[in-house]
Amino acid sequence: MSTVDPVEQLLANGLKNLWYPICPTGFIADKPVSLRRLGYKLALWRDTDGTLHALEDHCPHRGAPLSRGVNLGDRLQCPYHGVEVRCDGVTTRVPGSPGCKLEGSQATRYFHVTEAAGAVWLYNSAGNIEEAPPLVLPEQLSSAEFSHFLCYAEWRGDYRYVLDNVMDPMHGTYLHKQSHSMSEGESHAKFVTRDTDTGFIFEKDGQRGVNFDWTEWADTGVHWMRLEIPYPKTGGPGGNFHIVGSYTPISRELSAVFHWRCRPLTGWQRDTWRFLYKNRLEARHWAVLEQDREMLEFMEPDANQRENLYQHDLGLVRLRRHMKNLAKAQLELIEARQL
Amino acid sequence: MQQPYLEPHQARTRVPNSFEDLLGDSIERAFAVGIHDLPGLVGYLNQAGPTCPGGEPWTEDAYKTLMARLGE
Repeated sequence: MSTVDPVEQLLANGLKNLWYPICPTGFIADKPVSLRRLGYKLALWRDTDGTLHALEDHCPHRGAPLSRGVNLGDRLQCPYHGVEVRCDGVTTRVPGSPGCKLEGSQATRYFHVTEAAGAVWLYNSAGNIEEAPPLVLPEQLSSAEFSHFLCYAEWRGDYRYVLDNVMDPMHGTYLHKQSHSMSEGESHAKFVTRDTDTGFIFEKDGQRGVNFDWTEWADTGVHWMRLEIPYPKTGGPGGNFHIVGSYTPISRELSAVFHWRCRPLTGWQRDTWRFLYKNRLEARHWAVLEQDREMLEFMEPDANQRENLYQHDLGLVRLRRHMKNLAKAQLELIEARQL
Repeated sequence: MQQPYLEPHQARTRVPNSFEDLLGDSIERAFAVGIHDLPGLVGYLNQAGPTCPGGEPWTEDAYKTLMARLGE
């Protein structure tokens, strides 16, 4: 009989009190959708004016999936017994037993959701809260200087393998050697770490703008990662190609993988890059990501329990340690009932 | 068990047509030889093709108008 390590469990489900990307905005229409994310089964739907809502997909009466029910605008009606649950988690009506204790009680988990950069974002609060903090994204996704496209994919495996992969720039030189953008530069490197206001940068000592040479990890109320890769000459004017990534657990076996491909362009250059992206670059970028996906999906779930790490791995070691410390701190707050 | 979502084409709304493919080829070739300015690109398209929709020579305005639509 194995005991469950609470730190491990918290990390596997995703740390609390952070914004997470859930799915592309186009996944949610007026018909309620059920998605597993962050250790929950969620019901997501749109109100008559398009506003997004998210409840735990669990009727407070007997746990039937609310997502299979009727969209009544700001509330869902459970298909099982007609119980109505509003977007703030309050049961507004129990038609089979009017006036019962369940009526009027906030018996359902609800979540704050918003839309940005083509994705639905959910605030993973530890409990029901009145208001969520603002969603703060990197300039690549929030500034008009940048144009971006979202690429969303679901990869088999724990999301932390995806974090490790992005925190490991050196794999670009090997795994992505035959890609359209990562054939240049030295095949060995020494890495250094640099602190930032929101996290840290892990970078090759002395090589910049040649290959996948650095990764930034940041916490702005969202955990996101950022890197830049030079485009080949055929990519035209506009300098490097920026990638912002954010990763959300679906289950122990599946991860929601979000990459925004961004470039600082305006005017005809922006439009040209967007045309080329839709016409051909998207397929090339996809081929690179597929190399990552296949590598990670072929790794055993416990691969990270037997490793021999070396200098290139300092970044992922630091990130793992940091995440673990965040989890420990959150657990202490949860146990003290302060979260 | 639902299959994981793996869709290579998330940006486009339809399969490109052959004019768009030829245009993409030509733009990439121009970029590859270091043409990064709009007059240079328009000159290259007039010399190498494809023909501007409507049959007139490419102009900066015609290019910008078309790209604004294709790059939405």
